[in-house]
Amino acid sequence: MESSDGILGDISVLDLSQGVAGPFCAKLLAGLGAEVIKIEQPGTGDPSRQAGPFMGSRRGLESSALFAYLNTSKKSVTLDLDIPSQVQALKKLAHDCDILVESFSPGHLESLELSYDVLSGTNPGLIYVSLTPFGQSGPYRDYKGSDIVAQAIGALMYTIGLPDREPLKVGGEAALYTTGVSAFSATMLALYVRDAQGFGQHVDISAMDVMTVAQIHSSIHYQFGRNPLRRETNLVQAKDGWVSPGLDTGVQEGTWPKVCQLIGLPGLVDDPRFTTPESRRANAQDLLGVVGEWAATKPKEEIYHTLQALRTITGYVATVEDLLASQQFADRGFFRPVEDPVLGEVVHPGPPFRIDDDPWRLSRAPQLGEHNEEVLGGHLGYSQEALAQINGQEDA
Amino acid sequence: MSETALDGLRILDLTQVAAGPYSTMLLGFMGAEVIKVESCSRMDINRGRARPAPGDTRVYPDGDPGERPWNRTAHHVHRNINKLAVTLDLGTPRGKELFFKLVRVCDVVIENYRGSVMDRLGLGYEALSRANPQIVYVKISSQGATGPEKDYGSLGSTLEQTAGLASITGYEGGPPLMTNETYPDPVVGFLAFGALMAALRRRRRKGRGCLVDLSQREATTLLLGEAILDYSANGRVAGTNGNRHRDMAPQGVYPCLGDDMWVAVSVSSEDEWHGLCRAINQTELELDPRFRDVGTRRGNHDALDDIISAWTRERDHYQIMHLLQAHGVPAGAVLKGSETIADPHLEARGFWDVVDHPEVGSYKQTTTPWILSKSPRLPAVPAPGLGEHNFQVLNGLLGLSAGEIEDLVESGITGDTPKMDE
Repeated sequence: MESSDGILGDISVLDLSQGVAGPFCAKLLAGLGAEVIKIEQPGTGDPSRQAGPFMGSRRGLESSALFAYLNTSKKSVTLDLDIPSQVQALKKLAHDCDILVESFSPGHLESLELSYDVLSGTNPGLIYVSLTPFGQSGPYRDYKGSDIVAQAIGALMYTIGLPDREPLKVGGEAALYTTGVSAFSATMLALYVRDAQGFGQHVDISAMDVMTVAQIHSSIHYQFGRNPLRRETNLVQAKDGWVSPGLDTGVQEGTWPKVCQLIGLPGLVDDPRFTTPESRRANAQDLLGVVGEWAATKPKEEIYHTLQALRTITGYVATVEDLLASQQFADRGFFRPVEDPVLGEVVHPGPPFRIDDDPWRLSRAPQLGEHNEEVLGGHLGYSQEALAQINGQEDA
Repeated sequence: MSETALDGLRILDLTQVAAGPYSTMLLGFMGAEVIKVESCSRMDINRGRARPAPGDTRVYPDGDPGERPWNRTAHHVHRNINKLAVTLDLGTPRGKELFFKLVRVCDVVIENYRGSVMDRLGLGYEALSRANPQIVYVKISSQGATGPEKDYGSLGSTLEQTAGLASITGYEGGPPLMTNETYPDPVVGFLAFGALMAALRRRRRKGRGCLVDLSQREATTLLLGEAILDYSANGRVAGTNGNRHRDMAPQGVYPCLGDDMWVAVSVSSEDEWHGLCRAINQTELELDPRFRDVGTRRGNHDALDDIISAWTRERDHYQIMHLLQAHGVPAGAVLKGSETIADPHLEARGFWDVVDHPEVGSYKQTTTPWILSKSPRLPAVPAPGLGEHNFQVLNGLLGLSAGEIEDLVESGITGDTPKMDE
């Protein structure tokens, strides 16, 4: 048994999910050592195989960076859910697994007799995790979603962006990733309950719920009488990018005079606009102007390290290029090379957390149907002919 | 099912600000007993100042700090629900001794100070593990427990920068921007919960506790996975793309009827595109060569946005969402804080808890980012006043007499009033 000493080394996961959120959840379970079998549609696979960005000059089902990232350490099995005999195979796998992750519209798996109620009848320990845009209940349950829709309806994005512009989403697929994180934690919670109390259950993850918990200011501030709005940025331009000086919140007494020395304006110490954290906040734009003149001549990372050494809460805007060059990340070995069939190696982000010196499993994402023989032949005892039939459909 | 999910699990919570308190709030919802440890000279920063200065930017109910401002800030009231509050001065030998006694009767210690703070206090994992080998220690920090930047300070907004998230957040081709929601904090709060569950499973299997080292910066960088791979494989550096999407068009937010009202729309397939044209009653667009496929729609995105905006501007954002969804198009009203607490879907799912806080009054509280069918969450318990549960914990759990506790109050080791000399 592979990685049987991992925290989830005894756990098998059936990953029926597609896109970002569900696959990210299952990827994290695989990282902890679970055996994750990803079920994909023959011929096309998870739609994220056709989503950019693509790696190298290749196009096609095996070159999406998104898919390659989200499906590390999994096995891929193709089954066509429109063919009853292949649905039967899926049922057998579901009967034996510990965790099932799915992201179909509510009710879809019920129509295939693969609902939680049906499967838990023969597999009472099953943890069945459903990820959808709006959850399994409520008037919007059948509505479709996307990353931006989740950020909108969850009251996250209304306050993001500049005052004179439209609301702005967090970049990338932030809401979907966060939904995957919630699903991961909820799955681990359900597993804790199963270990302690002996039963499985259905976990309902709604991207709208997740985003509404992720807005940690808007709803409470409104109720306390302050309506949160979009506001100006506190970034200033450095020589090669952007920094936030971080001279107001959380800065200790005695730091400000040192900063004045550093930026070559010792006379500023007595300027009443800047003597306390409150006054620096109230005159934030003036402060950014003063510090900005100094910052414009310095590299952003130099500013970051120099000001942090004075115990400020300074930030610099790292690009992905900067991240891969970061000494902090390098020192901790966060980025890790993962085999790529064509490019040799590609760098991936590593573990989301470290538990003592337990390893974090990170091996390349599977090619479409790569593990048909191992799983369908090995686990389920499919004949060579039956396998050939399933494999043949991939080439169609 | 009479047992809660985390029945019998006891957490010693030293976290403050956002990521940690959010995680322990969720632990409380699921049945863990969370003991929040502060001191009268160092309260959770969420509580604000004992006597707020004029111009203090913290949010109090109707702008009124009240008699005990430290029990009334929005941050504290909202994030510190479901916890018992104890004060102990950990800088004193007696305070430390009592802290170690608590460690011996708890399952988990969780903190999110700067990297070296707990070690400096003599309360690092090694020391606590000697006192209780079963203890699971969750160390949430800005940069992780090791590395040259381990003692750097951060806020949610600076983590968005240093983790790369700001570099891909911003209007198309514009400068980077941060969220106003300190986004890494809730994300890390959710993740730390799962990390703890993993560590507890490890404890069950191995029979001893462990250290969880969670770097907020690393966790946030996980949200940029495909951009990291793209840079590694292709040397491409991802930038700002506004509300648009690499593979979907149109996608954006569109102005609606009313002041600063918007609706978000994403079209991810040809079916959805045709649905959109039908919904806005402009099926001639389906024949327009500018919008023939996703590639041309991306190329003519501005023109398409103008057409969609002209239609949305006359309509209510919720109505647009319902109409587009009826045509199979992903759409969502851009909700404000005022709207989310009244949304009928969240209401139907029982998402909000109405909390009656003794020093604040009644308000609606966010709950959990999950629903478990057999392990329901507990109703939210109002955020505790400073030191509210000193007697319950010091007497009930540690067996101190009323007299001993009185001595501790006298010597300033515990209490329920902040030291005013800050």
